[in-house]
Amino acid sequence: MSSSREGEVALRGLRIHYPDRDRPAIDGLTESIDDGETVVLTGPSGCGKSTLCRTIAGFIPELIPARVGGAATVEGTSVWDADSAHIAQRVGYIQQDPDAQICTLRVEREVAFGPENLDLSLEEVQARVDTSLEAVGIGHLRGRETTDLSGGEKQRLAIASILAMRPRILLLDEPTANLDPDGAKALFDLLGRLRDAGEMTLIVAEHRIRPLLGMNPRVLVLDRGRLVRRHPRERIDPRDMGPRTDGGSARAAAPMAERSLSVARLTFGYAEPLFRDLTFDLRRGEILGVIGPNGSGKTTLLRLIAGLGMPDEGRIDRPDGVGFVFQHPHHQIFERTVMRELAVDGDPVEAGEFERWLDEGRLAGLGDVPPLSLSLGEQRRLTLLTALRRGPQLLLLDEPFIGQDRRNVEWIVGRMRAHCASGGSILLVSHDVPLIGALADRILYLGEVPRFGPPGEVFSELRAAGRSPFLPEFWEGPDG
Amino acid sequence: MAERSRMRETGLRRASPTANLVLLAGLIGVVLASPSLAVRLGTLGLVIGLAAWSGVPVRSFFRSLRFVLVFAGLLFVAQALSIREGIAWIESFVRITDLGILAGAGMALRFLVILSSSFLFVQAVDPDRLAAALIRWGIPYRYGYLLILSLRFVPFFQRELRIVREAQAVRGLRVSVRSLKGIRRAIRYTFVPVLVSGLMRVDSIALSMKGRCFGLYRRRTAPRPERFRGADGIAIGCAVLLAGLAFVARRGGWT
Repeated sequence: MSSSREGEVALRGLRIHYPDRDRPAIDGLTESIDDGETVVLTGPSGCGKSTLCRTIAGFIPELIPARVGGAATVEGTSVWDADSAHIAQRVGYIQQDPDAQICTLRVEREVAFGPENLDLSLEEVQARVDTSLEAVGIGHLRGRETTDLSGGEKQRLAIASILAMRPRILLLDEPTANLDPDGAKALFDLLGRLRDAGEMTLIVAEHRIRPLLGMNPRVLVLDRGRLVRRHPRERIDPRDMGPRTDGGSARAAAPMAERSLSVARLTFGYAEPLFRDLTFDLRRGEILGVIGPNGSGKTTLLRLIAGLGMPDEGRIDRPDGVGFVFQHPHHQIFERTVMRELAVDGDPVEAGEFERWLDEGRLAGLGDVPPLSLSLGEQRRLTLLTALRRGPQLLLLDEPFIGQDRRNVEWIVGRMRAHCASGGSILLVSHDVPLIGALADRILYLGEVPRFGPPGEVFSELRAAGRSPFLPEFWEGPDG
Repeated sequence: MAERSRMRETGLRRASPTANLVLLAGLIGVVLASPSLAVRLGTLGLVIGLAAWSGVPVRSFFRSLRFVLVFAGLLFVAQALSIREGIAWIESFVRITDLGILAGAGMALRFLVILSSSFLFVQAVDPDRLAAALIRWGIPYRYGYLLILSLRFVPFFQRELRIVREAQAVRGLRVSVRSLKGIRRAIRYTFVPVLVSGLMRVDSIALSMKGRCFGLYRRRTAPRPERFRGADGIAIGCAVLLAGLAFVARRGGWT
């Protein structure tokens, strides 16, 4: 698909190498993207999708230091030579975490922020704010405080604030990474409408591309910084549809009869009840998957089970040993070295055992390294190992797969299976519905009507209720 | 939510940042300029009344200021104990005099008015509108937005601090600041993880701002001047009244 004529975005022999990294993040990439095209960038975590987006947006090397080579142009302007604020007049970039890109305190002000930077007239700014808010369907939120919005609303706000800049090219970097399945579906619908309007070039970096196929995109598959496959709109290689998990082999050994956790008539809420009379149990050797929309109380449920909060009503019978692995590893890293981090109650680990744990976590040779200097994947493995080293009977995992590549996901799944095989039990919260469907022995759906039971039963009820984004086939297709 | 929005649009919340700033200057000016206890007490009453008018319930107003109240109490006690001149009211192992009581009450009231009126200003003024006002006054917009960004980080740091404390509890880490070693541990176990989160967030926001042309031009769209409302008149009227009161109290030698 690479053409001799210059596209709207043209990359020739592009090479990006971050300081202190062994290999380049982008390694000799040549590609051209035409005006009005819809392109999906896919590939495992660390393949260079985000780097490519940030390069096209002009942030590298101006704001993100890196050695750069080759050429990257946007509408004929080299991104190396232009200020990123100049590039931003043509390219709108939406980051993974919508919450992390909101600069102001009110919805309307956030959307006006960009056009005001262009020194437009007040009337023009207001017109752009109105149009952009309506385009993403959040006109009714204009007076709200940005901190009050849900994850999905924040993502729409982030898009509205970029649309108000009237970019020619819209870049979205894993826009569904922090969204629940409902929010992700709404986002895909919105992108479809933008594509149908045909006014801009869409470049979307995503792991799971099946829901995007309705937009008839061209798919570029990256791996280790190289372009490994290009697919025309009509023919997508099933290998590139997104990570699949073999349910049969991923599921742990048969659960035991003995109960590990029992929750009876649990009621909890803030201004409004999050859940009322919630009852479920977890047996030893079992994985219970918890799914549901943003704000349905999944993390709150884990906090209550861990004893970090008191329920309003109801009873929780938990085992003595409970380990809790948070969503973001850096919240749980406290010590100066990996070795000290692995120590329990401040006692250093004995040398032989210590080496075994480091090997187990693929962290060999990193014992004296500051944990915060590790990669995200290494930090995730370290926090899981730290929790496992304390020998918990019940392990609580909050979104452990976000931002993890396939190898890390497989490693985490392996540890989960080993934990269950040794009589432990796991409560797993994740938006990754296909993975939950493949891993969990039973599923708890926290939503408008909570549901609890074996995956087939819960998915069948959700299917009947029209909750398609919470079904594995929405993400992976009916052909399994 | 609609009810909450209406609450926010009452009293001084309706007044412009400029009118609120003039009122704040009046409130602070009168307690600094006037030595009169009655004037200071009256000014404190006015602040409480204005808070109630602005939709801040008196109970929650004082709850938010509980540390200020405790500190004001300490100031009162320290002052009352340290002044030995005047007629003794208590003469045992300590000597507490009428002058000590008056000086303590005066200092505590001054402290309370300054802190509570500043708190009311922060509660009443929308930071976005304040930044717009700063820009209209000619302050470069980059500095005006620093204010908004710093306020944007307040709820973020509160949330991060809660998560880190929960992570400590899960690990069984006890953080105490009663010894030097404890303070060092508190810094490492609390400050470092929160700082890491903050730095990551700063990077994202910098990209977001630059990605929306922040700093591209020397000028940016000037916000529309706010129209004069009744609340502005009341705020400025109060400020003028307070200035007059301070002048009269000082000239009349009120104490």
